[in-house]
Amino acid sequence: MPRTTKLRLTVIAADQLYKRDVFRLPDPFAVVLVDGGQTRTTSVIKKTLNPYWNESFDVDVTPSSIIVVQIFDHKKFKKKDQGFLGVINIRVGDVLNLAQGGDEMITKDLRKANDSLVVNGKIILNLSTNTAGRRATGASSAAGSTAPSTASVSAAARTNLPDISSLSVDNSSVRSSSTSHSATPSATTNSTSTSALNGANNTTGTTTTTGPPAGAPTATTTSTAARPAPNSRGFSSFEDQFGRLPTGWERRTDNLGRTYYVDHNNRSTTWTRPANSQNESESRQARQNNTNLERQRHQNRTLPEERAQSPTLGSHNRTGSGATAGSSSGAAGGGAAAGGVAATSPGGTPRSASDAVAMTMSGATTPALGELPVGWEQRFTPEGRPYFVDHNTRTTTWVDPRRQQYIRMYGGTNAAGGTNTTVQQMSVSHLGPLPSGWEMRLTNTARVYFVDHNTKTTTWEDPRLPSSLDQSVPQYKRDFRRKLIYFRSQPALRILPGQCHIKVRRDHIFEDSYQEIMRQTPQDLQKRLMIKFDGEEGLDYGGVSREFFFLLSHEMFNPFYCLFEYSAHDNYTLQINPHSGINPEHLNYFKFIGRCVGLAIFHRRFLDAFFIGAFYKMILKKKVMLEDMEGVDADYHRNLEWALDNDITDVLDLTFSVEDDQFGEIVTIDLKPDGRNIEVTNDNKIEYVELVTEWRISKRVEEQFQAFVSGFYELIPQELVNVFDERELELLIGGIADIDVDDWKKHTDYRGYSESDEVIKWFWQCIRSWDSEQKSRLLQFTTGTSRIPVNGFKDLQGSDGPRRFTIEKAGEAQHLPKSHTCFNRVDLPPYKNYEDLVKKLSMAVEETVGFGQE
Amino acid sequence: MALKRINKELSDLGRDPPSSCSAGPVGQDLFHWQATIMGPSDSPYSGGVFFLSIHFPTDYPFKPPKVTFTTRIYHPNVNTNGSICLDILKENWSPALTISKVLLSICSMLTDPNPDDPLVPDIGHLYKNDRARYDATAKEWTKKYAV
Repeated sequence: MPRTTKLRLTVIAADQLYKRDVFRLPDPFAVVLVDGGQTRTTSVIKKTLNPYWNESFDVDVTPSSIIVVQIFDHKKFKKKDQGFLGVINIRVGDVLNLAQGGDEMITKDLRKANDSLVVNGKIILNLSTNTAGRRATGASSAAGSTAPSTASVSAAARTNLPDISSLSVDNSSVRSSSTSHSATPSATTNSTSTSALNGANNTTGTTTTTGPPAGAPTATTTSTAARPAPNSRGFSSFEDQFGRLPTGWERRTDNLGRTYYVDHNNRSTTWTRPANSQNESESRQARQNNTNLERQRHQNRTLPEERAQSPTLGSHNRTGSGATAGSSSGAAGGGAAAGGVAATSPGGTPRSASDAVAMTMSGATTPALGELPVGWEQRFTPEGRPYFVDHNTRTTTWVDPRRQQYIRMYGGTNAAGGTNTTVQQMSVSHLGPLPSGWEMRLTNTARVYFVDHNTKTTTWEDPRLPSSLDQSVPQYKRDFRRKLIYFRSQPALRILPGQCHIKVRRDHIFEDSYQEIMRQTPQDLQKRLMIKFDGEEGLDYGGVSREFFFLLSHEMFNPFYCLFEYSAHDNYTLQINPHSGINPEHLNYFKFIGRCVGLAIFHRRFLDAFFIGAFYKMILKKKVMLEDMEGVDADYHRNLEWALDNDITDVLDLTFSVEDDQFGEIVTIDLKPDGRNIEVTNDNKIEYVELVTEWRISKRVEEQFQAFVSGFYELIPQELVNVFDERELELLIGGIADIDVDDWKKHTDYRGYSESDEVIKWFWQCIRSWDSEQKSRLLQFTTGTSRIPVNGFKDLQGSDGPRRFTIEKAGEAQHLPKSHTCFNRVDLPPYKNYEDLVKKLSMAVEETVGFGQE
Repeated sequence: MALKRINKELSDLGRDPPSSCSAGPVGQDLFHWQATIMGPSDSPYSGGVFFLSIHFPTDYPFKPPKVTFTTRIYHPNVNTNGSICLDILKENWSPALTISKVLLSICSMLTDPNPDDPLVPDIGHLYKNDRARYDATAKEWTKKYAV
């Protein structure tokens, strides 16, 4: 038996432990066992997948001693499996020459025990023959005085550095080493990047709702994480070329190679490097401010129907295009179009037919616009709300007939003097039958109206026609407001009698909401929503549920849960995480999220979440096209286009199959039967591009998506949501932001133009004259999403990092503007005058969904 | 799709190896290669052997390979992490490019750095303003890390 040597073993930290429970984080602690005898235990770190212990133990070892370090969840230590989270074995002689002495940092992947419990992550240890110094006594004590832990970590970092060259040589064995630890233990040394299956539990997971939404980078489930990230070498993950990160911060790289920062103090992540000067309370404050900003933005979001009370009439340019005039009537229109003619109740007051639409539209009528038509009278309800009695038909309505007249006149002028009735009848002839339960009638003035026997209501609006009055203007006109009113007026979207109570704890909003929302039937969820936060006073008159959906959207779309991830296009549009299956329950969660999105739409609340364009198209059951790839992965899109534009013979060597990296295992998937044996040639490449696009965007997440829509359609019938296009659906889910044009202008770059050019002045003049919806649509047109970064336009992201909004001089004056969403750029031709610019820009912005530009 | 193409590149490399570089898979994993580049004789890197690691994405060749130096090198377009600032590895990648072409581009980048778009501004500055000191440092690093 050789002489024993004192060895100082420091259990520094573990990283990305497996998350066994969906909502709860483990309380990990480590048990050190030397040669089956000496036992040491670290303290318990609460609720984390990245425990940081930094505790040292002096043990007696020989070169052949085996050190076993096991990690357990303290909460489950009494249970059958003891909350086992992984184990590593080290033979001392393999890592350290005891005779010579030394100091070795060791990072090893945690392994399974005999049973089949899944294990993830790695552990970081230090072995040192130098036992003279003071022992590190753990992170908990270090939290107060940061000095000891910092020192030891930086020491670790220092020891890393000289090894770089040797590491690079050993790099070759890194990958294999994760499967055969004991064989090549030296190879794993220092290779902090070899975390093999960087699965679900990627610890960004600890991200809290307060994390910056644009920030919180993805918990990488994809397998690229299985490989050494390029910049995790050379520097430890606690420092970079700018020096050390603040205490408790760590640098990581996501699956797309983007660097992000994990704040273990606050369990949050961000894209921006923390400043060293920032102390904890300052950064918490900064985060808090960020959330408040987001909350404020979120609460300021609207939809056109809800703008009813704002005096948009005055601010609108009535001489503008018909479109503008039409939507400006939205001021009154909320009631006007949706209202319909309610039967007179005995008391002479209009019965609102318990129409929620009409109710919310209270006050929607506009100031008087001159004389009422013959036979009409204006009256007031006891509450002072005006309504109108049509003595000709003995009906009452909330709708001001003069407003109606205006819209009709508008329709009439376009029909070159034709009467409104003919306009309507024209449309009726080729629309097919009315929906079941509907009937068309004529008033005694020969005006067409519609009776919905399902709900016992009447309306002037043709139910088959989302914008029944627009048929005389070109069909590409998209009137979001009208579609909305039509949509809201549908019986399926009416709030049912009764109440739907949902009580959640603010800190557990995801898990509580999941329980509360999934236990109820879709019918229950269609009752008046009453949200209550546990322990908080406050009745839900809207504010509480707004906050609820705000917080919930930050949680359920948080990439930490691996259900959604950020697209490669920018850092904030979301897509389904193809590897969400790491969580065996994922489909239930997708169904839940689908319900939540439906619930928010149903109850007219917004989610603080923006998806890739293709996701909205999928909800609308539209075919996914190559152009949708741009919003998913701009590089991939560019190179697929390259393949279409160039002769690929002997260049690409592809087959009709793809390789999918599923947690480190490469799986070949056929794009069509036996695809792996069918070559892609110049003749069939179009089919290939179509199939591979479909796979990348939709097929790969088919299961998840089906679960999502099964929940969504329970509240929002598919045929109803289909009145919208994908951009409108984005606005419906996320609301329309109040856009600060000054901020926008301030952070805009020009190429070929300067800010003082006439065209640029017109451009901003035009933007300022537009309402929020049009501004949002311009943003969708140029950046692919109506989302604005929380800190404003200065943080706008493109597919290759920060990209300011850019206006480039390009194109002929007779052409429409074009956009490059990857680069947040609009190509604006040098138009000759303001009117021309307004016309061309409006057309481009409003008509480019589903219509080719040029 | 990627595998077939990667295999083809591998056999092409074997049949017609480019001068002064080599590349091949690490172990069984065809998606992870290691490459070596000999420092060009007309550069301060002459005499050095530089190792690079290459990771092919599964959607290769529609996405560029990830290529990084694993040997430390003093160069305006390579940072201490080994990351390389080269347009063809980013926005100018084309499916028509191959690993062989990429390695040749890196070779020529060693001879002719691009100091105007430096990943390490200090080195870029030195290269432009004090070439002798730049050469000396690059030589020294080559001797220290790459020989």
